[in-house]
Amino acid sequence: MLFRTGGQFKTSYKEDIALFPVRQDAILLGVVLVLAWIVFPLTASEFVFQTLLIPILIYALAALGLNLLIGYTGQFSLGTGAFMGVGAFACYKMVTLMPWMNPIVAVLLSGVFSAGVGVVFGIPSLRIKGFYLAISTLAAQFFLVWIFEKWSWLYNDNLSGAIEVPNLTAFGVVVTAPRADSVMTYYVILAIATLITWLVMNLTRGALGRSWKATRDMDFAAELIGINLMKSKLTAFALSSYIVGVAGALFVFMWRGAAEPALFDIPLSFRILYIVIIGGLGSIMGNYLGAVLIVGLPVILGTVPEALGLEIASARIEQINLMIIGALIVFFLIVEPHGLARLWELIREKLIRWPFPH
Amino acid sequence: MTSKGKLVAAALAAMLTAQLPGAAAAQELKISNFSYRTGPFAATGIPLTNGLMDYFTLLNERDGGIGGVKIDFAECETGYNAEKGIECYEKNKGDSIAVMPWSTGITLQLLPKTNEDRVPIILPGGGNSAMADGKVFQWVFNGPDSYWDAASMMLQSVGGKDLSGLKGKKVGFLYLDIPFGREPIPFIEAKAKEVGFELVLVPVGIKEMQNQSTQWLQIRRERPDYVLMWSWGAMNAAAVNEAIKTRFPIDRLVGTYWSAIDDDLQMAGDAGKGFRAISFTAPKPDAPVLAEVQKHVVDTGKSLSTEDQRAETLYQRGLAVSMMISQGIRAAQEHFGTSEINAEQMRWGMENIDITEAILEEAGMGGMLPPFKTSCTDHLGHSGGWILTWDGNRFQQSEELFHAERDAIAKMEEEGAAAYAEANAPWPVQTCDG
Repeated sequence: MLFRTGGQFKTSYKEDIALFPVRQDAILLGVVLVLAWIVFPLTASEFVFQTLLIPILIYALAALGLNLLIGYTGQFSLGTGAFMGVGAFACYKMVTLMPWMNPIVAVLLSGVFSAGVGVVFGIPSLRIKGFYLAISTLAAQFFLVWIFEKWSWLYNDNLSGAIEVPNLTAFGVVVTAPRADSVMTYYVILAIATLITWLVMNLTRGALGRSWKATRDMDFAAELIGINLMKSKLTAFALSSYIVGVAGALFVFMWRGAAEPALFDIPLSFRILYIVIIGGLGSIMGNYLGAVLIVGLPVILGTVPEALGLEIASARIEQINLMIIGALIVFFLIVEPHGLARLWELIREKLIRWPFPH
Repeated sequence: MTSKGKLVAAALAAMLTAQLPGAAAAQELKISNFSYRTGPFAATGIPLTNGLMDYFTLLNERDGGIGGVKIDFAECETGYNAEKGIECYEKNKGDSIAVMPWSTGITLQLLPKTNEDRVPIILPGGGNSAMADGKVFQWVFNGPDSYWDAASMMLQSVGGKDLSGLKGKKVGFLYLDIPFGREPIPFIEAKAKEVGFELVLVPVGIKEMQNQSTQWLQIRRERPDYVLMWSWGAMNAAAVNEAIKTRFPIDRLVGTYWSAIDDDLQMAGDAGKGFRAISFTAPKPDAPVLAEVQKHVVDTGKSLSTEDQRAETLYQRGLAVSMMISQGIRAAQEHFGTSEINAEQMRWGMENIDITEAILEEAGMGGMLPPFKTSCTDHLGHSGGWILTWDGNRFQQSEELFHAERDAIAKMEEEGAAAYAEANAPWPVQTCDG
């Protein structure tokens, strides 16, 4: 009923290949954009900004980067955390060496560095795949974090070995965490996330995206029909690392405000991998859904007992929380192994046919 | 597309905004403690948090709080995860008179926010040593001693007051390779140059914390005369065990504040006899305060601690730290003439702590921590500390009270604070009278 597609006729090719051929999808997206751009910033409290909106967007962006690699190109990577670190450290070096630089530009440029590093660690993908490739990207993880710790030039010889974000202004307003208004950082992150998501949506539908998908589905068949595997794989590594690096720079500059090298260790890579797998491989919306589940839900669950007026010790809430999240992950994966995005697809299909099952 | 994810987030977030806690119940002073009863460092977190909590429960039960107002000692669990730390801070900053993050990583992230939120951060025996400078770090209180103080006292314990015993010697420095462990290096390096001893740095990566065989091989090869150890959590027990295994004389191993953990040494037992660590609190199982806790908190079923735990260093350190905070609250209450102080007044109170022998006796804590005073310029107090020695069963306190070498440290603190203020310009600096 809500999703009745009857009466929506396509009269030109242009309409047929539109990003949203079904009108309701476009409306829904519009509603979400209005919520994200107008309603949330107006209503959210500091707590909601700092623990839900901002981290969910950043994690979703990082997951989007990883999803390009795993979900679209089929190249398994465990180095996401380290690539985020490259972005963050590159951004730090840029703004401290060139204090006049606009921090938003610095964030966008820092992705270039991680893209470079990503391509270097992507070279083994030309020879190996699957688990073997995963191990070689794991090497990136160890190597890069080690570099972050040992090369003190990277953190300007700071005694504690951590990077601390200076106060930076763009267009006369402080935009970097933690001094900036949450609304400000939120809008910066949202703008970058929206832009990148829109680009990726179009990219994955184009020639490059199709060559990635062909590589994923059967690489030698793809080669036989004339797809340059080297180009396809390395562009995927580059773009994926670029997005991941930008997410890493945002992670530190627009949210955390300070970071130790250990922050970019394997647990971060795994967390993003969870988001990708639970959200749905090869789906763009899935990254956002996954981030909501993995990053947002624990925070929300943590506030439930207090909202209900229950007196439960904080440590116990934390443990119950872990159990619930664990159970939910297993539950969602059993219900729909292809992730939350696929679950939504099924619901949407049902809605289109409703009330006639078949 | 990207969108439906946000939609879900939206609905949930909208629900939340409506329900988020506003003002706390009146007539209570809330202190938010970011505990870590879960996660990799829980072994440290549980006894410490129990001690902190039991002292405030004691004050509430016995005296009806401080100045007639009960203390709401609220725990927010982080599992030692910095992300959770932000969550806890955002949730509690509005109605707390102080927050206790117990983590340098979390503190570094919160530091710039405190100037705007105006909530004092209490971080006993942690953080950056330069935070002692009250002019720059207006909102942080990491007393009674900093890590540079600890390093200075540890060096004195092996080299004598003027460190002359270290001339020409070789000192190993075994440290957890995170900001916590790196903190004392500049101080020790400066001393090595000044006194003329050789310093061997032996880092332990956080992943190798529990398997230090390579590090101890290095120590065996280098044969240092002493090893200073900057460890905590799972690193303690592993270091002590490796030292025993490689036959390093254990009485030449000296740990920092968080190395003096009974449970870790318990495993080594007699073999760990002679292991030393510096501490700004001394365990006093017979102290009157413990009897009071037993009577008002444990016997009434309001404590989470066990009997063994209450005899341990960490639990008793928790009690002592809570006492220190309660003195800050009292000072503020007296100065402002109101029992219900706010966060800003609490900050003043923490700046004007004056713990004397008489106050310690009155609290039933005679000898549990050295008397000290804080001021606007000195947020630490630099109380000094004792060396605790493991006797195979318990930690025993040294006769002598060590004091850090103030002159050298004060200079480093000032430089460190100035560098921080410059890197974070514009950074508000307060002026202190006198």
